[in-house]
Amino acid sequence: MEGLVSYITKRLVMALATIYFVISVSFFMVRLMPGNAIEYLEQQMTIQGGMSPEEIDARVRAIYGVLPTGPLWKQYFQYVGNAFHGNLGNSITNPGQSVVSIIAGALPWTVFTISVALLLSFGIGLIIGTIMAAFQDSWFAKVMTGVTSFLSAIPNYLVAIVLLYFFADQHAWFPVDGTYSIGLQSGLNWPFIQSALNHAVLPVATYVIVGFGGWALVMKGSVVTTLGADYVRAAESWGLSSRRVTQSYLGRNSMLPMVTNLALSVGALFGASVFVETYLTYPGIGYYLINAVNSRDYSLMMGCFIVITVAVIVGNLIVDLMYPLIDPRIVRSAMSKRARVPASGTAPGPPAPVGSALTEPTMVGAAPGLPVSDVGA
Amino acid sequence: MDWVKSLWRICKTDTSALIGGVVILVYLGMAVFGPVFVHLSNVQNPALAYLSPSLQHPLGTDFLGQDVLTQIVLGTRPVIEVGLLAATFAVTVGVVIGLTTGYLGGAVDMVLMRAADVFLTIPGLPLVIVIASIIRTPSPFVLAAIIAVTAWAGLARAVRSQALSLRTADFIEAAKVQGLPLRNIVGRQLLPNVGPYVAISFLLTVTGAIYAEVGLFLLGVAPVSGTNWGIMINLAMGNGALYTNKSELYLFSPMAAIVFLQVALVFFARALDKLFNPRLRTH
Repeated sequence: MEGLVSYITKRLVMALATIYFVISVSFFMVRLMPGNAIEYLEQQMTIQGGMSPEEIDARVRAIYGVLPTGPLWKQYFQYVGNAFHGNLGNSITNPGQSVVSIIAGALPWTVFTISVALLLSFGIGLIIGTIMAAFQDSWFAKVMTGVTSFLSAIPNYLVAIVLLYFFADQHAWFPVDGTYSIGLQSGLNWPFIQSALNHAVLPVATYVIVGFGGWALVMKGSVVTTLGADYVRAAESWGLSSRRVTQSYLGRNSMLPMVTNLALSVGALFGASVFVETYLTYPGIGYYLINAVNSRDYSLMMGCFIVITVAVIVGNLIVDLMYPLIDPRIVRSAMSKRARVPASGTAPGPPAPVGSALTEPTMVGAAPGLPVSDVGA
Repeated sequence: MDWVKSLWRICKTDTSALIGGVVILVYLGMAVFGPVFVHLSNVQNPALAYLSPSLQHPLGTDFLGQDVLTQIVLGTRPVIEVGLLAATFAVTVGVVIGLTTGYLGGAVDMVLMRAADVFLTIPGLPLVIVIASIIRTPSPFVLAAIIAVTAWAGLARAVRSQALSLRTADFIEAAKVQGLPLRNIVGRQLLPNVGPYVAISFLLTVTGAIYAEVGLFLLGVAPVSGTNWGIMINLAMGNGALYTNKSELYLFSPMAAIVFLQVALVFFARALDKLFNPRLRTH
């Protein structure tokens, strides 16, 4: 119990520290980069004329939450304080709208499409990966190895463009004009739900096409490794039913890399949403990030960036909290490791995502030649 | 020249490695020699826009009547340049930090690994987009550095865990007893042992860097000037390529160029992985 509490506390502290870091980075990027955005805005308003210096100050303060005058540390603490209170300033290109209100309208759609895509690719990958591991020498495994490697090497924006070309422009099968048709009353009514689902098809399809291969390869690698483990052989030699072996011995143990991958995928999907939503005109948070970048709306841009990061951190936190449920040893080993080697400073916690420096779980996919004759029933 | 021999040995035994390696070589050749042999004419004639493939224009022409194949060849260098630079930056930083923290442990390890955790959590692509949009650089070096900002962390973690298991090895003990400096222990003793892993990570980091780089040009976040595949797709989309049947080749050629390169890199890296990773080696 004590281990669990310290495990959770550590995760929470790390999450808060990361959020704090990102907010600080945002401040210094807007404030200190060449062509200081805040001073630039002030100058522009002065050139436009028609406003007294006080009015300009008030407008700038509303947009960025800080003024370019005054000592830097004061501005910094004001900015960080505002951000932690949920005040990210006002948008420049959408006058009168706060950044938070724009994001509040956009984020749910991104979370919706990403969650659906994640569930679908997880499920499809799980099934395909298990089959690939169980029948390693079959034509299915061989074909799927090629297909999944191929698909996971294709950038998501290219898939989005191809889908856009064939399914939205050449044949207008799916709409790409927002998250639901204009004029529908949002809420729990059938036309709205149908329209929202219809609009989500292309973004979700893009994520799944690019994503499921990686899941399948992780699952395959993991199942193959687990199949060769001594405790699985022991369970088999005790004469346990293959169903029991599959569920209690194989299933849970081969799920762990999948859960690790879940944390990586959340980040990768939010990254992908930037491209996919922009090209498919799906106004989620990625779409607004690029809109803000292109119109140099720095307060909206930084707001989107901070919220995307917070969303990913929350996603990772949820995954971290799932670990002890699947593998209680993670919490316990954290305790015992610290007792044994106090000086090494090794971080307890979930296994680090070993593999590429990227989000692709590419390194896990190769095929070890382990005995698999009695599995898959 | 040993590594050339072992590369050849790998390619002889593994078809996908051979194909991947050949494709990568072709792309490198295009990047190095393309601009020497191929020149894009400055003549722009909208009357010749979207011509069908012919001997003169094997992939047709774009919306300004310029040859598409020429642009593909010329677009190779900037893409590969930034990809290689970014991967070099990221891998160098990742390996140095990973080996040093893994070997030293203690406070250095603690601080740097927390930093790596932070960079692993922050979604890389949005961060790269935000930085690139504020800096707006035309320089491939700066662009590569921006892309590398988030790419080093995962590698540092992985290399660190390998260094952790190596640091109690006999040869490291021997080096320590001899009083060799840290630079020697990290560079001469530890580095060769993680070499294959680093090589594979390098290839995969290149694919990631190309993904990010082309994406930046596609979105118009990196300055749209010169010729590269991302800019070609950007211009094709901006000029209504989606709404006409005639421009399919102009839109899909640069996309195919990217996909071939990425798939070749991944296949080659996978083959290397199979060979060097004893856990995965068959028979």
